[in-house]
Amino acid sequence: MIPKKLIESALGRAMRTGGDFAELYAEDTRSMNLSMMDGKVETAAGTRSRGAGIRVYNGLLSVYVYGNDISEAGLMRLAEQAADAVGSLRGKDADVTLVGSVCANIHPVKYLPTDVPGTRRVDLVKRAYAAAKDYSPEIAQVIVNLIGSEKDVLIANSEGLMLPDKRVRTRISMTSVAAGNGETQTGSESPGALKGFEFYDEIDVEKLARDASKRAITMLHAENCPAGVMPVVMDGGFGGVIFHEACGHSLEATSVALGNSEFCGKLGQQIASEKVTAYDDGTIPGEWGSTNVDDEGTPTTKLLLIENGILRNYMIDRLNGRRMQMAPTGSARRQDYSFAPTSRMRNTYIAAGTDDEDEMISTMGDGLYCAKMGGGSVNPVTGEFNFAVSEGYLIRDGKIAKPVRGAALIGRGGETIMRIDRVGPNMTMAQGMCGSLSGSVPTNVGQPRIRISSMTVGGR
Amino acid sequence: MDKNAFIKMVFEKAKAAGFSDCELIVSSGEEFEVNIFKGEILQYTSASSDGIGFRGLYNGRMGSSSTMVYDEEAADQLVTNALEAAVLIENEDVQFIYGGDEKYPELESYYPALADVPAADKIALAKELEKTALSLDERADRTEGSEVIYSMGSSRIVNTKGLDVSSQVNMTAAFIAPVLTENGKSSTDFVVESATDFEALKAKKDEMAQRAVKTAADFLHAKSIPSGEYKVLFDNDTFSTILATFSGVFSAENAQKGLSLLKGREGETIAAECLTITDDPLRPGSMASRPFDAEGVACYAKNVVENGKFVTLLHNLKTANKQGVKTTANAGRAGLSGSVRVAPTNFYVQPGTRTRDELAADVGEGLLITQLQGMHAGANGVTGDFSLAAKGYVIKDGKIADPAEQFTVAGNFYQLLKDIVEVGCDLKFGMPGGSCFGSPTVWVKGLSIAGQG
Repeated sequence: MIPKKLIESALGRAMRTGGDFAELYAEDTRSMNLSMMDGKVETAAGTRSRGAGIRVYNGLLSVYVYGNDISEAGLMRLAEQAADAVGSLRGKDADVTLVGSVCANIHPVKYLPTDVPGTRRVDLVKRAYAAAKDYSPEIAQVIVNLIGSEKDVLIANSEGLMLPDKRVRTRISMTSVAAGNGETQTGSESPGALKGFEFYDEIDVEKLARDASKRAITMLHAENCPAGVMPVVMDGGFGGVIFHEACGHSLEATSVALGNSEFCGKLGQQIASEKVTAYDDGTIPGEWGSTNVDDEGTPTTKLLLIENGILRNYMIDRLNGRRMQMAPTGSARRQDYSFAPTSRMRNTYIAAGTDDEDEMISTMGDGLYCAKMGGGSVNPVTGEFNFAVSEGYLIRDGKIAKPVRGAALIGRGGETIMRIDRVGPNMTMAQGMCGSLSGSVPTNVGQPRIRISSMTVGGR
Repeated sequence: MDKNAFIKMVFEKAKAAGFSDCELIVSSGEEFEVNIFKGEILQYTSASSDGIGFRGLYNGRMGSSSTMVYDEEAADQLVTNALEAAVLIENEDVQFIYGGDEKYPELESYYPALADVPAADKIALAKELEKTALSLDERADRTEGSEVIYSMGSSRIVNTKGLDVSSQVNMTAAFIAPVLTENGKSSTDFVVESATDFEALKAKKDEMAQRAVKTAADFLHAKSIPSGEYKVLFDNDTFSTILATFSGVFSAENAQKGLSLLKGREGETIAAECLTITDDPLRPGSMASRPFDAEGVACYAKNVVENGKFVTLLHNLKTANKQGVKTTANAGRAGLSGSVRVAPTNFYVQPGTRTRDELAADVGEGLLITQLQGMHAGANGVTGDFSLAAKGYVIKDGKIADPAEQFTVAGNFYQLLKDIVEVGCDLKFGMPGGSCFGSPTVWVKGLSIAGQG
């Protein structure tokens, strides 16, 4: 993408005002998207974006400069701007020697999404649309979006690293709108992977489309969820969003290094119920949140976060590692070249336990069973989190009584993960986009079915 | 390659490829951001970027593509990608490339002095902002961020029908989020203010710090509240957020796709009589202001809801043609290669006459909500349903009293519009981006609150 000599010069120039470390991140991304509404292809577009950013450290000072002119003149200009922001005394360019290397690719791709003929893409989207629409006459609209991207990155730094990586991602999202009695309700499924178009041969797109429609209809005929404090059972898959919000963000060095997390200084201490063991794993082949190396060129890891309730590790990027005097964990991520990287989750999940799935419900008394969760958010400083339930059922006396809509769950992370009193045996994951300081990145959430002894449930 | 030469080349290649008409949007931007932590620079970011988006009519279908590279190969790719897209599109709506209007409104949206503010001054302001905030309360020992940003964007639309219009906007903003800790409990609040004059932004520093620290301090001692139905005041910032979240229901595109319940209801009363919602693209000093929309149509101000009556959906040329009305010049473009959609500009609730305290006095017993969280998950722009984590203050004996947290507020946007009792006089706009939303304090008759107890 960029000649080695040029990168060496740019990194050297970037350090001429006293910087002790310089890094270049360049990317060239081709993406395609296709959307369908009313059974017709509504939009189709091909996009190419290309750009680079140069980051310079001087101790804990971090400067990031980016642009999309990656010519020699463009890169040297970025390097000079970065240097001038680090200090005003211009010394000599630093000597930087890069050793080109390659990273082992553990995420093989068969069909690049951008290579797949348009007609095949249209065919897939139509199958999903038809399955969702034909599910019931109450389905008034179905929206299908198909996204494929091929991101070539190049990461180089003044320690000599020069590493290219390729990330190919594929995702289809299906949203069904059920309408009746002047109201609408929605249901959606959005499977994705760090794979090519072969992903669609591995999943049953039509079944997922019908699931989305089924959920929309269930919710159309559901009553509003009552408000109150009650026990809550959450299924696997997207249920893992609870760990993501209640705990995951607060274990990112982004918050921890600045003292802005309720879990600061708690390594080796119990922060969760003994039932909880959790990982953040960037190495699972083909998973949505995986990569070979992180966006600083550090190989990704399978990181034990919590072991039987005891906090074992934080997710750490290079800069915050300096601040915390701890080694990076391959967790540095960014949406694209327009963001400086910081520590972020990859595929984060509560590991399988041994509790019986039926017993959790039959012994819970009155409460809420969440078959499918929506997204959420958290303030790591206070630990206050919230998330939405997209398919919920009221439990009365240990039995599923009726579907309820509009439930929201809130709490404080630390308190909530101490209240996990059951963890089931079947861990599943689901895909999401996570937004934070370094933009929106693909992440997996996951867990087996779990129970929380008491939570505040919002409804009306 | 020179941009004008590139444009000419693309137009020629597009014509040769069979496009009947086509259009380019040439955009460029600059970003600057500095974040201070404990007196030192935590993050310094600066950038400039540009790109070109193409859209063209091929057998009546609109294909689009974009590039950030300007050579002959890129020109070929732009045309080929758009052509491949156009042949896949099946939607039969009539599409438009617009020749332009005779006159465009004059608009002050670019402030040259802002572009010349040295980085050192912006860094100094971010440092002072942090220092001020941390000096106000001994429980404040750090922040989640003390930032100053600058942003500039320019765009030019040029097409084969003879349109060639340009506009440029810029602004600066500051952000402070102090963290207060007492007895192991932390609390934080953030305040963000934008300006078109750097001195004006500096002048806001003390008030910003005071407001953020006071709110964070209030919530150190906040408690949850009993569940139940409450009379609710949403403060101006919070109702702006609600309006932003549900603004899609006013899009003609969503209505035509069955994604808004306002389809075909023009002329009906959909809200309380005290509610008027305006879309004003000409508001001075907002980054969301524009003389022309994404299709090059001259912009103008209009009421979307007037005294509770629904006046119009927001339209672009395609949706207006489909419904047999005139466009409201609300075409917006999602990214360079995104298709033309519908987007509000400065979209706001017109203010009433009384202050927030006067409204609270009449509420008597109820709740003032000052923060909502998780809008992206707990609010559904299609159904209008929301169920959201919130913070605020209990209203007791007509006075704004104890801080409250760890509760949720739930309702439906369409119903909420009807349940508005009164709007306050304190109209305030949120951070301007592609769109900018504003509102005064809004009193809602009753909403369901879930708390602990």
